[in-house]
This record gives sequence, structure tokens and C-alpha cells, in this order.
Amino acid sequence: MMPHRYAATLRRFWISSLESESEYQLNLVLECLAVVGNLAGSVFVLSLLFSGQSSLGGWSWDEALVVLGLYTLLDGFTSCLLQPNLSKIVNHVQQGTLDFVLLKPIDSQFWLSLRCFSPWGCPGLIAGLILVATGLRQSGAPIQAHSLLLGGALVISGAAILYSLWFSLAALSIWFVKVWNATEVLRYTLVAGRYPVSAYPPALRLVFVFVLPVAFMTTVPSQALLGAGSWHWAAGSLLMASGSLIASRWFWRFALRHYTSASS
Amino acid sequence: MPPNTPMITARGLSKTFRVAEKQPGFQGTLRHLIRRRHRDVAAVSGVSFVIEAGEMVGFLGPNGAGKTTTLKMLSGLIHPTGGELSVAGFRPERRQRAFLEQITLVMGNKQQLIWDLPPLDSIRVNAAVYGIDAMETKRRISELADMLELGEELHRPVRKLSLGQRMKAELLASLLHRPRVLFLDEPTLGLDVTAQARVRDFLADYNRRFGATVLLTSHYMGDITALCERVLLIHQGQLFHDGELEALTSRLAPFRQVRLELQKAYPQAAFECYGTVESHQEHQVLLLVNRERLTETVAALLTRFPVVDLEVNDPPIEDLMRSLFSAAAVSDQA
Amino acid sequence: MTRPRSRLLAASRIARILLSTQYAYMLEYRAEIALWALSGVLPLIMLGVWQGSGAARQLGWSAEHLQHYFVAAFVVRQFSVVWLIHVFEEDVLTGKLSPFLLQPLQPLWRYFAAHLAEQATRVPFVLLMLLGLAWINPDLLWRPTLAELGLGIAALWGAFLLRFLLQALTSMLCFWSERAAALDRLLVIPYLFLSGLVAPLDTFPPAIKAFALATPFPAMVDFPARILSGQSVNLSGGFFSLLIWCLLLGPLCWWSWVRGIRRYGAMGA
Repeated sequence: MMPHRYAATLRRFWISSLESESEYQLNLVLECLAVVGNLAGSVFVLSLLFSGQSSLGGWSWDEALVVLGLYTLLDGFTSCLLQPNLSKIVNHVQQGTLDFVLLKPIDSQFWLSLRCFSPWGCPGLIAGLILVATGLRQSGAPIQAHSLLLGGALVISGAAILYSLWFSLAALSIWFVKVWNATEVLRYTLVAGRYPVSAYPPALRLVFVFVLPVAFMTTVPSQALLGAGSWHWAAGSLLMASGSLIASRWFWRFALRHYTSASS
Repeated sequence: MPPNTPMITARGLSKTFRVAEKQPGFQGTLRHLIRRRHRDVAAVSGVSFVIEAGEMVGFLGPNGAGKTTTLKMLSGLIHPTGGELSVAGFRPERRQRAFLEQITLVMGNKQQLIWDLPPLDSIRVNAAVYGIDAMETKRRISELADMLELGEELHRPVRKLSLGQRMKAELLASLLHRPRVLFLDEPTLGLDVTAQARVRDFLADYNRRFGATVLLTSHYMGDITALCERVLLIHQGQLFHDGELEALTSRLAPFRQVRLELQKAYPQAAFECYGTVESHQEHQVLLLVNRERLTETVAALLTRFPVVDLEVNDPPIEDLMRSLFSAAAVSDQA
Repeated sequence: MTRPRSRLLAASRIARILLSTQYAYMLEYRAEIALWALSGVLPLIMLGVWQGSGAARQLGWSAEHLQHYFVAAFVVRQFSVVWLIHVFEEDVLTGKLSPFLLQPLQPLWRYFAAHLAEQATRVPFVLLMLLGLAWINPDLLWRPTLAELGLGIAALWGAFLLRFLLQALTSMLCFWSERAAALDRLLVIPYLFLSGLVAPLDTFPPAIKAFALATPFPAMVDFPARILSGQSVNLSGGFFSLLIWCLLLGPLCWWSWVRGIRRYGAMGA
């Protein structure tokens, strides 16, 4: 009965958010323009980086396109789910409407993370998929079922890492209402995921693996998709994903304990 | 919950908040960063009461007395620092599903309805969250909409509704799961007189129909007089009065306020035999008249003076309580 | 001729008070501002990528060249951030603009002062970040000549003014549409890619470079960053471009403000 209730609730959540977004059809045009513009700009900059070169950090042009495609895909996911939901947490705290969420007989993290679905991220999702497919086909890497499967799993775990990081940062707003744009910082630094991690100087590479795990979001899944995935990295990524999901859950519980013992 | 146990029991309920002390300005901030100083503030200290199933109880007190804190503890949003609490047989702070399905909290200054959508959409979300099936949802919506006199408003975006309509829709959304215990924090805040009356009638009706227990706070004495036979009066975190409203009203407000608008001006002395003159301007007079002598005084005023307009009011509850509590403070010192 | 003088005095007094209260207000938000400053690291990330690519070296840009350019772009970006539209949109939608309209001061000045105050609040954070960079690699910093510094700051303020005017123009759309911020997001895209923030204009193919130079965007990052990092730069051309664009956008802003206010009044907000 419980999974059923969650499924029914999720359906209702998304129907109602689609309805409220459907009032703004102009957004679709603007969003498509933004995706096309951003994509054109990114490919242009990538071409500048490749001018006179045949590789960037050991990646060929087509392989780098796969990385850029995954970045676009994740950016679309961010616009669909992370941005519309997680940026509201701070408003809930500020305006006290978090109380309503906590009084519902449903998991509060579930509510806060999935309450809204913004269709405006979809152009990004589609563009990302097209770019990945193009890059894969042109790169000449043999397309194998198991590498696609592994790559897909790693993309999902990259998304999970991103979600956990973002959610935990948003949960900080329970203590520090004013630091809400910590999540914005996160979004701006994620731009680094547009390029393969090996293109960066060694010190930055370390940062992108351990501090801001951008590497797991685009580079590692791309390697797997291209059939060059290493089991070490894959295992590390999956471990990191499940670890960070658990950590975000634990952290939210901890934050709530603080909220419920201190809010007025 | 075994029969005959009270719906709500609070024993020695307390809550202390830890507040950081910070001096204003840049220097104060710097000092605050280096060495934080904290101070414990008791919002509620040692409050005990028992509320039976089906009772409607008014919760009074000046701003900052600890009313909202108590309501939040009762609904499980805040963990008490001390004391025992039981609501519908549960310990609220554990916020178990079965508990949450039996209570609701309505806050007049906050809303849960989605701003851009018709209330019906938010209500359907709530139905899913509480696991109420479609048929039953429909039935309950029409029943509650009937009681609240809500119709096509449910299909209009919330932002286009008046404050009163919004509050009624808010009530519908909060009561869809048919809670047995209602916590209402200022449910009539900012509403006009008719909307206030409608909300009151609805609450009385809901209480009768479903035998729900209701605990409400309000700044409007009218809400309390219309709905609650019993009031809890809280001041500085402590229970001041627990009992019948009558006893409290006559204790708090033996006077009523009579506002007169006259065709021409009279000297202040002309009114002094009718009651205490609170203010006197050319054509406007404010009189405090003893409750018992109100009818005859008004009749006498009407015959004696060329009255254009006459209004009888209860002095604002805040004023009443301020006078009560300043009196209490004086007796404390004595 | 006492009149203009007393007017000037009054104006300077307003400016002083406006700036000091806004500064105090911004100090309250220093944690946010520190985070905003952190979120401006894009040029530094791009520096990382460009160092790994041989593309710039082929154009004759030394590693040092590249480093100084992107660090300068980072500084320019920090002090030309404009967030007018987000505040303005909210003020229009919630009617907070109305009380400002009753006062004998053009409300845009208020927002302008807020931006200046925010920049002042940023200074220590940016210095800290530069110190951090120097700690990682001392070669990342350099000492510009006095002329470079003076001209660079002048160009930087020009860039800020230009960005402010451009965003003020899109902000005026708030009077007509609820989606003005979305339009502004579209304008960020050419700014990002054509201003020199993610790639120096020198690396562009000639045709695209010519196109970019015909837009106002290179004046917003590339021009001041080149001055600050001590690279060859067409000074008169750059300042001329700043001037022309400001002269173009200023009256447009004014015109749309007047029209917008009329509409705002008609809506009864």
C-alpha cells in the first residue's frame, strides 16, 4: 500500500506542476533558444580549444563531444528536478511553510525533492542525448550493450551524487537562511564538467574528483560509454553515489532534528 | 486510544530556546564570530492542561506569550524541552504517520495552497498524500465545499481569490483527511467581518458534525466568544486562566466601548454621567460603559442627544489583556 | 549661480547617504556576497582548460599571458556583476516599487547605489581569493603599471555601467511581462561566449571575432581584462565602443522607463 501511495502522490505532484507550468507556453520557446544558444556556444569554445590540436587531455574531438553531451543532459536534469525543487527548500524555511510539509504523513525528503517537475529542462535532456549519440557514432568506438549499460548506470550515479550534494547544501538553509545561494555556487562550478577532467591541471583534477565530484558526473560515464570504462572508476562512482545518497538522508534527518528543536 | 482518555494531555510542558546574542553593526558581528554568547529564553514553562475529545478550546495570550510555540509542540513540529505530552494517544514529536493522519494545523499567516493553480489541484495533491481514493475525495470535497459555501472558487487560481475565499479553501485542504484534532493559529487573521463569521460558523459546524477537538488562537475576541466555552490564557509562557469564557470576559472586560457620532458638539461633562469618557472630539465621543447597564445607557443616550451613528464594541482583546497583565505585574511586585 | 551649486550639493548628499546605507545593508548579506564571489570562478576554470590545450600557444600566447588574462577576466567579472533584474522584477510584482515612486529621486539610482555598495562589500573577498591564487601559484599574479591600473579600472567601470544599462533595459520589460528574467537569461548566453570570459577573443576565427567586436559584449570583459593584464589593446577603440553603447542604451532605458511607469500606474499597482 505504501509504495502505491508514493506512486500516486508522485503522479499528482507532477500533474499539478505541469498544469501550473502550462500557463507559460512562451517558456518553451525561450528554453529551446537557451539550450540551442548554450550548446552552440559550448561547441564553439570546444572547437577553439581544439584548433590546431587533435586532442584535449587525451580525448579526441568526438569523445569530448560525448562529455559535453552528458553535461547538457545533466543540466537538463537539473532544470527538470533539482532547480525547481531544491531551490524552494530555503523559501519553505524562510516562510515557515516547511511546517506544512512536515505535518504530512509522507517522507519530507521525498516531498521536497520531487514535488515539482519542470518540463523546461526537457529540451536540454533531448539535446544532450543527441550530442552523446553523435559523439559516440563519430568516435568510431564499438558500441556494445554492456558499455552502454555501464555508462547508463554511471550517468545515473552521477546524477545521484549531484542530487545529494545539492540537497545537503539546501538543507543547510535550516541553520543559515542567508547562505541559500551556496547551491548557485555549486551550479556555477559544475560548468567544469563540460570538459574531460584530464584536460585540467593535476591539482584541479584532484578537486574535481574529491571535493566537487564533477569527474563522476561526466568524465567517468563518458569513458564507460566509449567502451574504455575501468571497473575501478565504475565501482568508485557507484560507491560514491550510494554513500552520498545515504549521507544526504542522514544529514536531512539531522537538520530536521535541529529545526524541530529550535524553530519558533 | 482507550475510551474515556482525554484527547490532549499536557503536563508541565516547557520549551526553552537558545538564542545567540549579537550586538548590532559590524563590530558586533565580528565579536559574535569570535565568541558566541547564548541566552536561554523560556517560551513555555510548565504548562499543564487536559482537553477532552470534542471540546473547542480558545487559546489566548498577548503576542509572544507562547501560544504558537505550544500549538507547534502539540502538532509535533517542535520538540518540548520538558514535560509530557499526549495527543490522540500519540507522542506528537515522533510524528508517526498514524498521528499525522489524525491532526491538522491551520495557520492564518501561512498558506499551503499553490499560488498559481486552482485550490482543487492542491487539494488533490493532499488527497494523494493522505491516501484517500478518488471517489471518497470527491465526496469529501463536495461535502466540505458545501459547508464552507465554496463553489467555482475552487476552479480559479489561488492568486485570484480574495483573502476570505483563500482561507476557506485553505481550510478545505487542511481538513480533507478529516482530522480528529484541529490546531488553528489565527485562522481569521486579516479577514473582513463576514468572512470571519463564515469561518467561525464552519468551525462550529465541523466540530458538531465530526466531533472533532478544536484548539484555536485568535486576536479577535469574537472568534473565541462565538466558538469556545473554555479558554486557556497564557502569559509569559505560563497558564494564567483555564476555565469558562464568561468568567474571563467579565474579569477582563467589565466595560464595553460605545462610539457616538453626534450632529453637533457637546461638552465632555454632558457624557460623564453615562460612563467613563475615553476620548472626546467635537462630534465624536468614545464612552466606556458598564456591561450590566449597557442597554439602558444606550437608550438614554439616543433620547438625550441627536445621534447620527452609534457603535458598541468590545475593547480589543489585546487592550484587555494588557490591562490584565499590567495589573498582574503590579500585584507580582507587591 | 548658486542654484546649480546647491543642487549639486544636494545630489552629492543623497549619493553619500544612499551609498552608506546600502553599504551597511550589504554588509548584513556578506555571507551571501562571499558565496556570489565564489561563484564567479568560471574564468579560473577556463584558465585550467586553456592551459591544458595547446591552442593558445599556437597563437603566440605564452602560459603567463594566458594566466594573467584569465585572472584579470576574473577580477573584471567580479566587479561588473549586475543583478538588477532579479530585484527589480520582485519589486514590480509585489508593488514595492510604488513607495519609491513617491519620492523625488529616480528609483533606478537606488538600485545603482545598491550595486556599487555590493561591489565595495566584495572587495575583501576578491582580495582573499587573489591571495589564495598567489598561494597556489605566485606566477598567477603580476603587478600592473599605474597607467594600466588606472585605465583598467576606468574600463572596468565602463563595462559595469554598460552591463547595468543593458540589464536596466531588459528590466523595464517587467512592466509588460512576467517573463523578463527569462529574456535576460537569453542575453547571458552571448555575454558568456562573446565577451571573452570563456575564451580570449584572439582565439576566435577572424569572421566571428569581427562579429563579436560589433556587439557590446567584448567591451564588458575582453577590453578591461586586456588592459589590466598589460596586453596590446586598442584603447581609443575600446573606450569609444563603451561610450557609443552607453549613449545608445541610456536614452533607450529612459524612454522605456517612462513608458513602463505609465503602464505601471495604469495597472494600479
